[in-house]
Amino acid sequence: MNAERILLFIIGLSCLPLAAQQNLPSNLRKTGAEVVSAFEPQRAAMQKCSAVLVSGRKELVYGVVVSSDGLILTKASEVQGITDLEATVDRTRYKDAKVIAIDPVWDVALVKVDAEGLEPVTYAPTSAVPQGTWVVMNGATTRRSRRVLAGIISANAREIPAEGGAALGVALSGEKKLEIGKVQEGSGAEDAGLKKGDVIIEIAGAKVKKIEDIAEVLKDRKAGTVVKIRYERDGGEFEAEVRLAAKGELFGDEMQSRNDVMSGDFSKRRSGFPKVLQTDIICYSHSVGGPLLDLDGRCLGMNIARANRAETFVIPLEELKEIDARLRETAAKG
Amino acid sequence: MRLLPTFLAILVCCATGARADERPYVNDLPAPEGRKDLEVIQSALVEALPQAREATVCIEIGEGSGSGVIVSPDGLVLTAAHVSGGVGKEVTVVLEDGKKLKARTLGLESETDAAMIQIEEEGTYPFVEIDRDSSTRLGDWVFSIGHSGGFDKDRGSVVRVGRIVRIAHSTIQSDCSLIGGDSGGPLFDLTGRLIGIHSRVGMALAENNHVPMTEYTRNWDALKNGEFIGEGPFAKKPVKGSGFLGLATESHPKGLRVMKVGKKTPAEDAGVKEGDVITSFNGKNFKDRKELQDELKEMAADDEVVLEIDRGGETKTLTFHLGER
Repeated sequence: MNAERILLFIIGLSCLPLAAQQNLPSNLRKTGAEVVSAFEPQRAAMQKCSAVLVSGRKELVYGVVVSSDGLILTKASEVQGITDLEATVDRTRYKDAKVIAIDPVWDVALVKVDAEGLEPVTYAPTSAVPQGTWVVMNGATTRRSRRVLAGIISANAREIPAEGGAALGVALSGEKKLEIGKVQEGSGAEDAGLKKGDVIIEIAGAKVKKIEDIAEVLKDRKAGTVVKIRYERDGGEFEAEVRLAAKGELFGDEMQSRNDVMSGDFSKRRSGFPKVLQTDIICYSHSVGGPLLDLDGRCLGMNIARANRAETFVIPLEELKEIDARLRETAAKG
Repeated sequence: MRLLPTFLAILVCCATGARADERPYVNDLPAPEGRKDLEVIQSALVEALPQAREATVCIEIGEGSGSGVIVSPDGLVLTAAHVSGGVGKEVTVVLEDGKKLKARTLGLESETDAAMIQIEEEGTYPFVEIDRDSSTRLGDWVFSIGHSGGFDKDRGSVVRVGRIVRIAHSTIQSDCSLIGGDSGGPLFDLTGRLIGIHSRVGMALAENNHVPMTEYTRNWDALKNGEFIGEGPFAKKPVKGSGFLGLATESHPKGLRVMKVGKKTPAEDAGVKEGDVITSFNGKNFKDRKELQDELKEMAADDEVVLEIDRGGETKTLTFHLGER
C-alpha cells in the first residue's frame, strides 16, 4: 500500500512541470492580444465607424457613424443632459456634439457633429445571421485607436419586455384617491412636472380610482412611450404627458437579481426593447452605443445594453435603419 | 489519494491519437492568424450547434433551475451534482421546444460535481456523443450552452464561445462566460462532442469551471445505479433522522389519528388536517405513533412521503417532501 502511494506520488511529482504549463497564457485567451489581432481588418473598419462620445475627460459611450456629414446614433440614456458633449471619430475630436432627436422606446439618440468626409457604417444584407457567427464591437479606446472585443451571436433575436412592466415613476400615498406621495428622480413623471400631493384622475383617457386601475391601463404599454395624464392640484385640473419607464430602470438597485449581483456593472436601461440580437461579448456598460460588425466589417446592428456579465443586447440593423430615418425626420422638423 | 485521477488521466491520454484527423487544425495554432482560421471555428460551431442545442435541457427543481444535456436516446441526462442536489429526487426536464418531462435524479459525485438524471417518460430523445478519449487540450476552441437564468422559449438556450484556459485534476476551465442557470449545462468541442459540464463560475468573468467527462466515465455504473459518492462539497449526503413532518398523532383502530398539525410545517403545507386518520404512510399501516417515529428516524430531509388518509369516510392521498429538522 505504501509502495503504491509512493509510486503515485512520484508520478504526481513528474507531472508538476506539465501541470505548470496547463494554464493558457492570457495573451492567447479569447480577449488576449494574439487572438484580438486576428480581427485587425474588422478593427480597421470599426476605427472609422465607431464614434466615442465624451464629456470632458470622461468617456460616456460609443456611437454609430451613419452619415459622412457627422450624424451619429448612440444610446440616449447615457448622453441625455450632458452639456459639454464631444465626439471622437477615427482620430479627430469634434467639439459641440448635439443631441438633435431621441427615440425613447429604443433608447437611441441622434447626435450631430460638424464634420465632413466621415465614413459611415456599411450595413450587412441582413441581421438574421446564424448563431455562432463571429461578431466584434468596440471594447476600449485610446485617443488614437479603437480596440476589438470579439464574440458570437449567442441566442434568438427577440423582444425584451420592460422589466417589471412600464411605470409612471411615482409612489402613491393616498388611500381613497391616487395621491402622489413621491416622484421618482429622473422619471418621466418628474420631467412632466408632477409633484407630491397631485391626485391622478385619468390616464390615457381612462378614469382611474385605485392602483389596480393604473396597472390595467399601463399593462400593455411599452417603456419609452408617452401617456396623457389628468391630475388635480390645488382644486384645479391639469394635464401632463408622461414618458413611461421600465420599472427596472427606475428602481434598478431594488430589482437586482442574484445574477445581477454576480454581474456587477450593467446598463441602467437594459429592457423594454422591441427586438434585440444577443451576443456573448463581455463588455462594460459604457462600451455600448457603437456598431456590431461581422467578419466583413459590415454592421449587423447597434449595441444597446450590457444586460449582465454574459449577455449584450444589440438593435438589429433593420430596426436601426428605421430608427435612423425617423430621427432624421424628427430633427428636420426641428 | 488525490493523485489517482492524474494517474488515470495520463493513461487515458496515451491511448488517444486515433481521432487526430478529426481535430480542427485551428486548435493547434497558438491563436487564429486571420479570417480563414476564424471562419474554420465559425463554420464548425454553426454546424455543430443545432444538434448540441437540441440535446441541451433545462432542469427545474422546486424554485430553482439549472441545465443538463441528454447523452442517450432513452433520456439519460448529465448535469452537475449541485444542480441535482441528491439521489432519487423528482425533477422536471424541459426540452428545447418547451416540452416538460418527468425525471428522477440518479447518482452523483459530490466531490467533483458530476451527476446523472434519467427522464422517466418513454421516448426517443435527441442526444450528443460524449468525448470518451479525453482528447481535449489546452487552448482548444470550445462552446458552452445553457439555460441562463432559467428556461426562456423566445430566447432559447444561450451559446458562448471560448478556449480551454486551464486543465487540472478534476476540472477544466474555459473562458466561455457562465451565469446562474447555466450550471449543469454542456461544454462542447468544435466537432460537437461533449467534453464537460458547467460547474462553478469564477468571480473572474473569464474563468469558468467544468467537470471533465472522465469524472463521469470512471464512475459511470455507480452514477447510473444511483450511488451518492463522496462527502461533498457539491451535495450533502442525506442525514438519517433529519426529516421533519410536523404533526402529532394518537392510536386509532384504522391507523394513526392526527391530533395536531404544526403551523408552517410540511404536513400543513400538504393539507393534512386535524382529525385525519393516516391509514398508510409510504405503504405501511401504523397503529402506534412509536412506529411512525421509528420510520422517520430512518428517513432524511427532502425524502418523499405518500400519505393515505381517511377524512370523514373519504380517502385522500397526499404526496409531499419532509422538511429539515
